[in-house]
Amino acid sequence: MSVRGYVNKNSLKRRKVVDTFAKTVFRLCGFISAIMIVVIFVFIVQRGIQVFFPGYQFGNIDFLSFISGFTWRQDQMIYGVFFIFINTLITAFGAALIAFPLSILSALFIAKIVPKRFKIIFTTVIELLAAIPSVVYGVFAAGVIVKWIDSFASALGYTTRGGNSLLAVIILLAIMIYPTITTMAITAIEAVPKETEEGSLALGASKTQTYFKVILGSARSGIVAGLVLGLGRAFGEATAVSMVAGNALVGPTLNPFDITRTLTTTMLSGLKETSGLDYDVRFSVGIVLMITIVITNFIIHRIKDKLGGEKA
Amino acid sequence: MTKRRKISDFMANAMTYFASFISILMLVWIFFYIFSTGMKSFDFKMLTTNYWSTNYKIEFESPDAGSFEKPGSLGDSVAYSVKYGVGFEDVSTKSGTMDLQVVYIASDSPLNSGTNAVAGETLGQSQSIDLGSNVQRITYVNSDGSYASEGNSKGSSAAQLAAALDQSVSIDSMQYQTPGGGVGGSLKATLMLIGMTLLFALPVGIFAAIYLHELAPKNRLTRLIRSSIEMLAGVPSIIFGLMGVAVLFPITAAFGIKSTSILLGSLTLAIMLLPVIIRNTEEALIVVPNGFRDGSLSLGATETQTIFKVVLPSALPGILSAVLLSIGRIIGESAALIFTMGTFIMDKPTLTQNATSLAVQIWSVMSGENPNFGLACAISIIILVIVLILNLTIKLITARLMKKWSA
Repeated sequence: MSVRGYVNKNSLKRRKVVDTFAKTVFRLCGFISAIMIVVIFVFIVQRGIQVFFPGYQFGNIDFLSFISGFTWRQDQMIYGVFFIFINTLITAFGAALIAFPLSILSALFIAKIVPKRFKIIFTTVIELLAAIPSVVYGVFAAGVIVKWIDSFASALGYTTRGGNSLLAVIILLAIMIYPTITTMAITAIEAVPKETEEGSLALGASKTQTYFKVILGSARSGIVAGLVLGLGRAFGEATAVSMVAGNALVGPTLNPFDITRTLTTTMLSGLKETSGLDYDVRFSVGIVLMITIVITNFIIHRIKDKLGGEKA
Repeated sequence: MTKRRKISDFMANAMTYFASFISILMLVWIFFYIFSTGMKSFDFKMLTTNYWSTNYKIEFESPDAGSFEKPGSLGDSVAYSVKYGVGFEDVSTKSGTMDLQVVYIASDSPLNSGTNAVAGETLGQSQSIDLGSNVQRITYVNSDGSYASEGNSKGSSAAQLAAALDQSVSIDSMQYQTPGGGVGGSLKATLMLIGMTLLFALPVGIFAAIYLHELAPKNRLTRLIRSSIEMLAGVPSIIFGLMGVAVLFPITAAFGIKSTSILLGSLTLAIMLLPVIIRNTEEALIVVPNGFRDGSLSLGATETQTIFKVVLPSALPGILSAVLLSIGRIIGESAALIFTMGTFIMDKPTLTQNATSLAVQIWSVMSGENPNFGLACAISIIILVIVLILNLTIKLITARLMKKWSA
């Protein structure tokens, strides 16, 4: 019998149909995943800007007073987001100011300095810190950090609202973004070619000099990516922050012992018993949050490109 | 090396030590706080019990007194009624009141024959008494046929109640309050959420990864798709919550679901987890040797057959770790779920209704007027233990995978 006898033409045809069908499904899934970011953006913007246009059923907010306002009072329908935006920048950059140096130092330690057999301890610690859910950080902050701050403030002669304060938010966020930046920095440091390190050592630099001046410089790109990721987490963190922020009605908050209000806490506050305009304005705040993140990313990358002559 | 160089090097090194030990300190501190606060309230029973306490009134089908020996396991603080085989104890609650709790019921005790006595659908159905229930009032019949009652609402102590019961000949009815404060409902909702989310996210995520790694041409469009998915990974979870309300809520509403629901929450999380699943699956696909694909294709298999029968089985451990990673994210997620599932704790969650996951229950009990740190920390213990186990498992899987392909 010839080979042809064994090949079923119908089966061949069916295989081809199945193959084409499956490939189409795969492609479709890829496209759906990619299009989601656009869908998110378009729908949130659409729902967020409707409160500024006449014809919106629950009344209107004046766009200019929204983006320039220094008061947020749901009960009086006064919605000014500008001070909240400033507060958010202060908390996120404050947290980064604390976490960034610590992250870089720990990353150097873990990637280069610590003896190999202890390395696993430190990487596990960082991984665990990164894996702790934000509500758990929130409980810790509300149970421990606010108490530190309350006693610290009273030692300095200030009073706080039970410790809920700008400083509490900054410390909490610093703890939360520390593992994010550290992980990225470790990856970046470990990716620096051995030759770069050896070259520096051969020129007579000490090991420590090499680590701080040469390796950190070469790993700059990855470290900045870590900073951007950390800032993104700090901007977007919601539940933990709202447990200690205190939701100030006016601002911006500059006193570290005063209560504050960030974009995310605004979106969450009083969510249970709200509807209509007060609900939809959270989408407007969401737009501000997205724009803040995008612009910050852009600016940091520009600064990085300006600072370094050659691209690492 | 100069002395100055040595000193400054030492200082720089010391700083790196300092920074790293702070991280350990932080982790220990967080775990210590959560465990030391939560352990007082943690109890394995809370995994199955309700959050809301309910009042019951029951009558008994076989109300007559018998004779039951006090088990040795019960301590002296337990007042035991030998006629009914039930132990009571005075317990001070967190709110400062005294509870008269049922701490033991013998298996053949008359109290196990209770039926619901309140008019309604459940009238006459058998109702077993949860241990830890607060006895409001037990009405019993004395030997002269007169009725009397004792219980927390009459201010009696456990000893008084047990003594009074041992004077009686039968019990007539009992009013009690279930303990509450459990996480049974949230645990169920979390499991439903995990199941539904993976059901939606896994096929789409895995197929998208297959497209990107196995089929997509290397061109600008593919790069655009990749960077879009990367961007999705950087979107904060609260924005996903807004997206769920704006985009997906109308979809579930079209199926007749009027409120936010577990279904809406899982759809939202499914989109949020797409980048995680795609990235991890792709990493698993990358390590599958190309020889496998060539071998299969040259034997006449179609690309689809090759993908499903050769590539995917080899990539299974990587996909498994994507699943575990996703489960970890789902368990820890709160902000997106507050928007899409609400914050009202449900004891009997259903797919089409509001509910809270464990993490959202923490948020719920913390955001009221009186934050309940004990319960919040107890739930945190559950979450932390699950997250720890998941992380260890992922590490094991990755280590094995590395070994398999490098050998």
